[in-house]
Amino acid sequence: MKSLFWKIFVSFWLALALFAGLTLWMTSYYLENIRREASSDQPRNNIIEYVRQARALAQDSDINKLQDWLRQLDKREAIPYLLLDKKGVDLLKRSVPLYLQRRVSRLEYRYLYSEHEEDDDSEHRNRRPHHRPIIINGKRYRLMPDFRSITLNRILDRPRIIATPILLAALISGIICLLLARYLTAPIGRLRQATQKLAQGDLTQRVSPSMGKRKDEIVELANDFDYMAEQLQALIGSHKQLLRDASHELRSPLARLQVALGLARQRGDDSKTQELDRIEREAERLNELIGQLLTLARLETNTTEIEYNAIDLTALLEQIVEDAAFEAHASNRQVNIIQSVPVTIKGNSVLLSSALENVVRNAIRYTAEETAVEVSMSEDAEKPGWIVIKVRDHGPGIPEQMLESIFEPFVRVGLARDRQSGGYGLGLAIAKRAVHLHGGQMTAVNEDDGLSILIYLPELKSSE
Amino acid sequence: MPRILLADDDVELADMLVEYLSQEGFEVDTAHDGKTTLQKALDGHYELIILDVMMPELNGFDVLRQLRTQSQVPVLMLTARGEDVDNIVGLEIGADDYLAKPCNPRVLVAHMRAILRRSEQATANTPAKADSLTIGDIELQRSARRVLLNHKAVTVTSTEYRVLEVLLEEAGHVVSKQELSARALGRELNLYDRSLDMHVSNMRKKLGPLADGEERIKTIRGVGYQYSYQHSGA
Repeated sequence: MKSLFWKIFVSFWLALALFAGLTLWMTSYYLENIRREASSDQPRNNIIEYVRQARALAQDSDINKLQDWLRQLDKREAIPYLLLDKKGVDLLKRSVPLYLQRRVSRLEYRYLYSEHEEDDDSEHRNRRPHHRPIIINGKRYRLMPDFRSITLNRILDRPRIIATPILLAALISGIICLLLARYLTAPIGRLRQATQKLAQGDLTQRVSPSMGKRKDEIVELANDFDYMAEQLQALIGSHKQLLRDASHELRSPLARLQVALGLARQRGDDSKTQELDRIEREAERLNELIGQLLTLARLETNTTEIEYNAIDLTALLEQIVEDAAFEAHASNRQVNIIQSVPVTIKGNSVLLSSALENVVRNAIRYTAEETAVEVSMSEDAEKPGWIVIKVRDHGPGIPEQMLESIFEPFVRVGLARDRQSGGYGLGLAIAKRAVHLHGGQMTAVNEDDGLSILIYLPELKSSE
Repeated sequence: MPRILLADDDVELADMLVEYLSQEGFEVDTAHDGKTTLQKALDGHYELIILDVMMPELNGFDVLRQLRTQSQVPVLMLTARGEDVDNIVGLEIGADDYLAKPCNPRVLVAHMRAILRRSEQATANTPAKADSLTIGDIELQRSARRVLLNHKAVTVTSTEYRVLEVLLEEAGHVVSKQELSARALGRELNLYDRSLDMHVSNMRKKLGPLADGEERIKTIRGVGYQYSYQHSGA
């Protein structure tokens, strides 16, 4: 019974069978019980009680009251109680089975041939209290339970009779089904959570340990999930490691190249200055690219070593904008802070400044000449406790379908890797990764004339 | 000729750098692993040590840490590019400056000259200035290049000493980052360069706040730094 298939099959089957069986058994038990009482000589206590009630009502001589009482009784009891006169006619004109008519005439016969008082008889009272007559307006009636006419239909029409056992059965089977449903869906929920986290890039998600001692298809699925996550982690890990190692290895020949270049310059051959300048420039580009690659690889692999402190984000942003403005001035562009609020956040100043720097410098690169990059920082109106930094340029903007992908490495808007735009398509990837490590988010939005990069970061509560 | 120790495990690179640097007028000694570097650095009298982080046996940080327990010789760290954290770690444990590797040898020479100029200024007696400078609970003994906090010596690197000296000389006034960089580091302030901020932050950590809990070295946003001058206490 380890497999989920059998678990579901057996428990549903059992629950259904249990409910149906219990209901049937309860009803037939009830019927049996009544039959047994009918055949025994011992009168049921409640018949005696009903006779007593009827006799009490009869004293008021109001036949309507007695009829009402009889109707109420019929609604309540599964057994039809008939009130028969000496000819065997029911007070409510219900049909009377033959055996009861015979019994009435037998009783009537016995009554006529015995000496007794009209109203009450001590022998009757002592031996057969349920046979005592009910006399109203001089007419004599007898209360007769019609045991043979009791049907399943009558019982089901009067649910009060078997309400307790049915409720109990419903409750028990309900609890069983609830537990079963919980048992079946709880691990699916956990699996789903893990899948979502995995999709968000958290490759360390595993679900098997939370499955306890279960052994069924869901656990097999969980094991498969874990295996998949492990394979993914290993694969992506090795890719990142490869990227990192390759970048590292590239540095050594580049370092030698630069020194060799320096030596070539020292030897002083003026005729080749132009070529040497070119080589130096390209070496510098290569150098920067490797630096960015390493930064990215580091952000994606060694994230546990990063130290977080309280940082004055306002000052940090001002510092970066100031530096960037100086740089932008050289290319006839401006960078301005148009709005700012005092903000402290928990973070790593190196990572944060490189993130902001990359975004601002990227904006300078794309904004049109004679225009300004506008930087603003404000409280997030939609999310209390968050701040949003907006860096807006006045450039060409980007196609809508690329708004997401510009944060991926080496994705650039222009198909031609034009030198003018500079950069290597890594700046925004580094920025996004760094912001991500701070629990924040980054999005891009097209404006009328240009692009806005929005950085959302959680603010540090003053109490922390 | 200034004597320099170059520690780098890339032998080929080191050989080329030796050639380049001797052309620039330096006398260069080399070491290719951490242990040898530490030994040579402690034995020989070098004016500057260029220390690569990536080295076998003892890495650059370990060498620097052990070296600083015994010597305050100027150290220029070569850190891996793209590993910004390394730069900070280097400065925190007492490097005077850092450069991301690979770097242009011309830039390397410029940084080396700046460091050497600073230490020369320090060793050459400057008779125009008084030997002792006391502001509040801090005392600078210029000839010995010592910093005393409440008459107790505080270990500082030569760069940190220079930064503190400039700030104390201008105590109560704001010193711009450009000026501080020029006077204390001997070079122009580069864009996006946070090494000055690191040195100041190190000094704050080593000296702690003022007696009344106020920040000793204030950051004047967008301008520079200011050493708090206490009129009542001084």
